[in-house]
Amino acid sequence: MSALEEQIRSAARQYLENGDVSVVIGYERGPKGKVRPAFVHQADDAERLVWSPECNLNLVTYLHNYKHSPRRGVPVPRVAVVVRPCDARAVNLLLHEQQIKRENVKVIGVTCAGSEVDGELRQACTVCQERVPVIYDVLVEPEQPVEVPEAQDDYGDVAEMESWTPGERLEYWAKEFDRCIRCYACRQACPGCYCFECVAEQVFPHWTSIALELPEKYFFHVMRAFHLAGRCVGCDACEVVCPMDIPLSKLNRMLAKEVEALFGYHTGDDPETLPPLATFSPEERLRL
Amino acid sequence: MKVLTQAQLNEWLNHLAERFTLAAPVNVQGKLLYRQVDDSSGIAWGFERTDMSPKTWTFPATEPILIIEQGAETRLDDAPAPAPTVVFGVRPCDARGALAIDALFLDKEPSDGQYARHREATTLIGLACPQMWDSCFCTVVGGAPNSTEGLDLLLTEVDGSDGAAYAVQIISEKGEKLAAGMPGEEKGVSLPKPRLAKGLPTLPASQEWKAQFNETFWKQVTERCLGCRACTFVCPTCRCFDVRDEVVSRQPGRTVLQRLRAWDACTSAPYRRIAGGHNPRPTQHSRLRNRFYCKFMYYPDDFGPLGCVGCGRCIEACPVNIDILEVIAGVEQLAASGSS
Repeated sequence: MSALEEQIRSAARQYLENGDVSVVIGYERGPKGKVRPAFVHQADDAERLVWSPECNLNLVTYLHNYKHSPRRGVPVPRVAVVVRPCDARAVNLLLHEQQIKRENVKVIGVTCAGSEVDGELRQACTVCQERVPVIYDVLVEPEQPVEVPEAQDDYGDVAEMESWTPGERLEYWAKEFDRCIRCYACRQACPGCYCFECVAEQVFPHWTSIALELPEKYFFHVMRAFHLAGRCVGCDACEVVCPMDIPLSKLNRMLAKEVEALFGYHTGDDPETLPPLATFSPEERLRL
Repeated sequence: MKVLTQAQLNEWLNHLAERFTLAAPVNVQGKLLYRQVDDSSGIAWGFERTDMSPKTWTFPATEPILIIEQGAETRLDDAPAPAPTVVFGVRPCDARGALAIDALFLDKEPSDGQYARHREATTLIGLACPQMWDSCFCTVVGGAPNSTEGLDLLLTEVDGSDGAAYAVQIISEKGEKLAAGMPGEEKGVSLPKPRLAKGLPTLPASQEWKAQFNETFWKQVTERCLGCRACTFVCPTCRCFDVRDEVVSRQPGRTVLQRLRAWDACTSAPYRRIAGGHNPRPTQHSRLRNRFYCKFMYYPDDFGPLGCVGCGRCIEACPVNIDILEVIAGVEQLAASGSS
């Protein structure tokens, strides 16, 4: 067991023993050794929790399941969640958007050395400078400090796509979306996607066909990317969960770059600064 | 038994591609999907389990099932008939998946017209599995890596004197017709025994499932479910769909609509939402549990076959590792502890 794992378990145990929370959301290993989300309700069960670079989802998305009181007279459940630095910014996002109350959430922040997908460091993690989550109640730290890669162009990976003509981009995405099965795993894994009724599924008005074909896939992914502009925290959970391996992070990062350039805003960095699309300032007109 | 060399098989497939729409496993940017091929060179030879099942050819993800013309009078037309199609490289589990879908769409009246046309137009050429791959569990649900059920022809790779060779089993009349004029030579070959997976659970009977319906076990299993539709879309037996009339063209006095059917999934929240906004399966727990009960209780009780053929795709596709084998083992355990 690593030092990180021990600290996560001990924090979980304490929260549950003290009755601070009713559930701790972390990771466990499945029957075949795969890492997967775990929900720990009893202090004794905290031993199930693990930590490794394979922990590559954004567990903040599960906080939406605990936003409401389950029954009349029962208070909104209090929850602890294990987060990486990118996930932690999603906690700030949900605080901004008044989806959760700070007092109902305990954040177990893990000092992150990057997440892996199929044994390889995630592309975004190779340039990420964040090691310590921006928001936490307990900080999980390794014995040795985690190395930070040298600062480089954060958006180097989308530079190539920016040089393409609109026609080339269309062609590229047509090829990628071709194998999309519209399973919505990307949306469901995203902490920022929590509409009660998604535009892609709305019946009245009926914005898009029920067909699982290219125009609908385009519509869905582009619409989703726009709705996440200035809200995407760059955790890449959408890409990680995609059963068809569609490089969705590229879409989100293109828009994150635009938002950063236009508004100087990086999603969820602090709990005070409101996201640009949730506020208005007269100066914006000049910058555009 | 007739045996073909790889070259003869290629030649025969090329010939089929001229007469039929030939679909086979194709490597599409790293994913194995059943797509149309122009000739045998487009096939992802050596494939194991494909990422999507060949269900896409008999029950397409999206298709019109009726064309509606509204003008001075209303005209209803059948959707365009499917082209004669040969699907090559069907794994035995997936062929059993087609049989499972038949039980609902064909074997019970009224039958589903468009599905019937697809099945009529499609010939399934199987390729036996030499072994059970990771997550495979066909043997738990009554199948086998070399099962012939539901196939028209089954090819089994055998040792050839010069590279791969395929022994051909003719299963159905359709298969016999297709195999007429097939190259190769008659030989006495013994088919290799596939390697089976060990340590798999035993499937509890449907009444055992019924007895465990209210167990807290289901809350534990389903707590991490994200409510996406990946497991059902990769499944060779999931057959739920949504229907909607959508406008194709509109001119003064004449509107053409198509009645579109597209896959839907019981694991997603809007699936069961009804008029007025009520949802009889209001929680993710009730929705995912339904998927398992459909497979192992409702479907076999109502239509005969199990709603699962053990392909293991849902285990691989699930973003949060919900493992149907773990569920089967869990119910087995609950049943054992309940009866003792």
